[in-house]
Amino acid sequence: MNLIRVAALAQKEWREILRDRLFFSLSFVVPALLMLLFGYGLSLDVENIPFAIHDLDRTPQSRDYAYRFIHSRYFDFKGYVTGEAQAQQLLGQGSVRAVIVIDRNFGRELSADRPAHVQTLLDGTFPYRTQVTKGYITAINTAVTRELLADYMVRVKGLSPSRAQDAVDPVRLEVRYLYNQGLKSSWGVASKLIMALLLMCPPFLTALGVVREKESGAIYNIYASNATRAEFLVGKLNPYFCIAFINAMVLWAMACFLFGAPFKGSATAFLFATVLYVLCSTGIGLLISILVGSQVAAMIVTAVVTAMPSMLYSGLLTPVASMNWTARGVAAVFPAMYYGRIIESCFLKGLGWGNAWGDMLVLAGYGAGLFAVGYAMFHKRGKT
Amino acid sequence: MEAAGFVKRYGKVEAVRGLDLAVAQGELFGLIGPDGAGKSSLLKAVAGVLSYEGGEVRVFGLPVTTEAGAEAAKAHLGFMPQGLGRNLYGDLSIEENIDFFAKLRLVPAADLRERKERLLGMTRLDRFRARPMKQLSGGMKQKLGLVCTLIHAPRLILLDEPTTGVDPVSRRDFWTILHELLSEGGVTALISTAYMDEASRFDRVALLYQGRALAVGPAREVAAGTPGVVLRIRPEVVGPGEIRVASSVGLSADRGGLAAAEEPGAQASSVSSAATVPRAFEAPDALELLGARYASVRGLGREVRVFVPGAADEGAATAALHALLGGAGIGFSITGREAADLEDVFVCKVAPHHADAPGGTGGPGGTDTPATSDTPELSGLDWTRDGGAPITPIISGASGEPARQADEAQGLAIHARGLIRDFGSFRAVDNVSFSVKPGEIFGLLGANGAGKTTVIKMLTGILSPTGGAGSVAGADMLRGGRAIKERIGYMSQAFSLYTDLTVAENLRLYAGVYGLNRRLAAERVVWAIKLAGLAGRENALTASLPMGLSQRLALCCALLHRPRILFLDEPTSGVDPLGRRLFWDILRRLSRRAGVAVLITTHYMSEAEYCDHLALMYAGRVVADATPEAMKAALLADAGPMLEVDVDDPHRAVAALRAAGFAEAALHGGSVHAQAGPGEARERGAAVAAALVAAGVNVRAVAQTPLSMEDVFVHRVLALEAEEAGAKGARA
Repeated sequence: MNLIRVAALAQKEWREILRDRLFFSLSFVVPALLMLLFGYGLSLDVENIPFAIHDLDRTPQSRDYAYRFIHSRYFDFKGYVTGEAQAQQLLGQGSVRAVIVIDRNFGRELSADRPAHVQTLLDGTFPYRTQVTKGYITAINTAVTRELLADYMVRVKGLSPSRAQDAVDPVRLEVRYLYNQGLKSSWGVASKLIMALLLMCPPFLTALGVVREKESGAIYNIYASNATRAEFLVGKLNPYFCIAFINAMVLWAMACFLFGAPFKGSATAFLFATVLYVLCSTGIGLLISILVGSQVAAMIVTAVVTAMPSMLYSGLLTPVASMNWTARGVAAVFPAMYYGRIIESCFLKGLGWGNAWGDMLVLAGYGAGLFAVGYAMFHKRGKT
Repeated sequence: MEAAGFVKRYGKVEAVRGLDLAVAQGELFGLIGPDGAGKSSLLKAVAGVLSYEGGEVRVFGLPVTTEAGAEAAKAHLGFMPQGLGRNLYGDLSIEENIDFFAKLRLVPAADLRERKERLLGMTRLDRFRARPMKQLSGGMKQKLGLVCTLIHAPRLILLDEPTTGVDPVSRRDFWTILHELLSEGGVTALISTAYMDEASRFDRVALLYQGRALAVGPAREVAAGTPGVVLRIRPEVVGPGEIRVASSVGLSADRGGLAAAEEPGAQASSVSSAATVPRAFEAPDALELLGARYASVRGLGREVRVFVPGAADEGAATAALHALLGGAGIGFSITGREAADLEDVFVCKVAPHHADAPGGTGGPGGTDTPATSDTPELSGLDWTRDGGAPITPIISGASGEPARQADEAQGLAIHARGLIRDFGSFRAVDNVSFSVKPGEIFGLLGANGAGKTTVIKMLTGILSPTGGAGSVAGADMLRGGRAIKERIGYMSQAFSLYTDLTVAENLRLYAGVYGLNRRLAAERVVWAIKLAGLAGRENALTASLPMGLSQRLALCCALLHRPRILFLDEPTSGVDPLGRRLFWDILRRLSRRAGVAVLITTHYMSEAEYCDHLALMYAGRVVADATPEAMKAALLADAGPMLEVDVDDPHRAVAALRAAGFAEAALHGGSVHAQAGPGEARERGAAVAAALVAAGVNVRAVAQTPLSMEDVFVHRVLALEAEEAGAKGARA
């Protein structure tokens, strides 16, 4: 490998990138922009559910019950409705997602120690959100029921309030969340977005950069010279690798400082894994650029090959472990899953080299494989 | 370089079908042929950047058969792929581009410095070395490409169509630089071109067509290899029974006049009966007759240049022409005799199995189909006879502007008066005035960026002018946009057909666009298919048609509504000579029979000669407006005859002539062409010879060669450039 040629190729490529303002700004703006969009937009937390109450009873008991919901941080009280028609209308408009209907004889039945009835109407358009909402409502309702039960035991059986409390809650559950104590989904999403965006953006740039040269015919300068394939690949891809790495650092900083994701693990392990991962994604771009002949085709193929897997099969939205077997197979084919595990351990779990080396090995092998295939398929003496 | 039985296939398509070529060390070898002839495939294979399916290519005696094998020769090769500046880097400056190529080729720093200065100086690019490549003009890009290809001092240079899309001045400049570079010796050059008239620039040429070599050898020998005589005649129509063939002298005085036998009793010609067609436009009937018999026929204004293959001498050729034309009652006088050129040879060899022909096979050996079979069905163009659009503009009375009425009175099809168009602070068109009569073919010439397309866009109503006025087809240019669009046809290279539609679908689409009713549309589509010579291919996908045919189809699409004026913006780029001839047959017939005015721009200077009238544009202005003959006569008076000097050492001869003040002296193969300065040919020839002898160059012969439109164009533009430079100097 002749370093003069490699340097000449890299220098030329840098100059072209730096002087093509659009290309240059896109290469840095796009990942950061996507980070912002997804980071803020992809929150999976269900909070502040807008809801209304239809209180047919209007007794102190029914108001008591209603206040349990009104004061909850998960619900956003929009007001009392006066009739079923209004409830339907609000749900239809989407201004509330749930309506709680308290039955006419709610207070009387409770006072008479008979079961009272409450109905809830839920907007079922987004099943996930609906499930979560139903869970919240059930939980609040259960808490109310338990209190009433304890109350009853105090009144009827003459137990002390604390004894009654123990009697209705024989098994106590203590919940402690590890790694993400606040269960903030933005912590997890922001760190995983680094993985997804690094699989999406660098291949685009790399594929466009190489195909641009193929499309214009400038690649013939390389074909017709004595520059070897390795020299070309190293020189040509050098700027794209560097840009991708800089982007990785920018995204890391955004995740930590903008989204407040804690970085607890080993920095060196993370850096090393990132280098390997960026090599893999640049390699994917290289492979695409060898297979296609035009920039349009490069864009489409890159989008299909990287955007979908990075969003759906990387563990960004659904943990890989909870996917079905086919999906897990697909996930295993892309490097995102392995890097995702490293990110998880470095950011939230605070682990380091010890846990990551297996995944790093996979990434290293993956990158080496991509470049080997790219090298073998790149020919200076083509068929067309 | 050697190729033996070279075969290249792309999928199922055989692009090159067994080519044998040998290029000797130090030779300047030309690959000449239209698009798709296999030029690029061969060049790429030689450069070691394209694999091939059959035969063997050897470079410097080394076989280029594998990727590794190709590497061996690459250090000594320079390859410039097709496409102007396409292999250069737009965002890099001239110097950075050169440095990149040098580093890629591992040129030592000292050599690079020395070579770079020399090459930049020679190409006069040194003043612009910091300018980004994308801001260079076409000619400059091409010169930079050449510098980059030569920076590692290769022993074999391969240039793929380096002059395509470059204006004639830059083209000539390019050849001068190339010859200068090669004069140092030792360098072999293999260059492809689609311009037949560049053949004389090479030491030897290979005429390629559909992956085969039609002929190989020095251009002059190739041209002479097909026996026959080229005559220029001026047809004259005379009354019945009094056919006369005027005898006249050829170019050289020693050639005697030739009397031809009279042929009494011939019928009067079937000239268009339309009274409005001027008498001068009657030549095409002769042209049609000749075109039906001979493959290589060119209408040059009122004259016709015809290649009579197989004729032993001028007498035999004259007799043959007389037999043909006399039968139709057309007399003619012979105005000149020329040597056959490569285009004649090409057209004659290709005509029997031309791909554009409806029955053409293009296969080996071709068929015995005579040249007439691929001639489009032209009779449908006699619009005046079958009650089509009348020739004189319909007076619309929409506007009472006096100037417009005057135009109509004069019967002008297009009248531009002081057209101006600014783009920001840049004046693209500056006070352009000209007029085109019905039935006239008007050529608009000029380098890239001279403003031709802008003028056409203004006249067709696509672009509004910044200033000036004009009338088109009897409607005011500024207000009659709609009327104009109904009366004109527009076709450009960029305006392409929908390649995923079939021939008939394209035509039906345009019939719909022009708002023809169903009956008329069906009728016209059938007519257009015949006219385009596409009968039997109605259901072929447009993408599958050869260039010549699709351009003809595009023309027919523009004719569906029977326009009175046709605007053509470089309609024949990339079309082979025979395809171009058939295209021009239609144009000529349109103008002569239907009285359609044609405004055309072209890069082919040979086509400029087919026009009735020319306007030469330079920097947005019309700098010359005359007939081709008048332009040539002006050049002859201004700069003297063009002499071809046969010498022992052409490179030294060029240098000597330039030193002696013949600035435009240029190398053409083994001889030198020089614009001799105003004066009588013999006398100027003596002056040129004397200059050469004084410089110690042995002169074998001096002969006059006819001036071409390219000579006119280059001379005019160079004079204008010198004037401009002088004005700038005076200001400074």
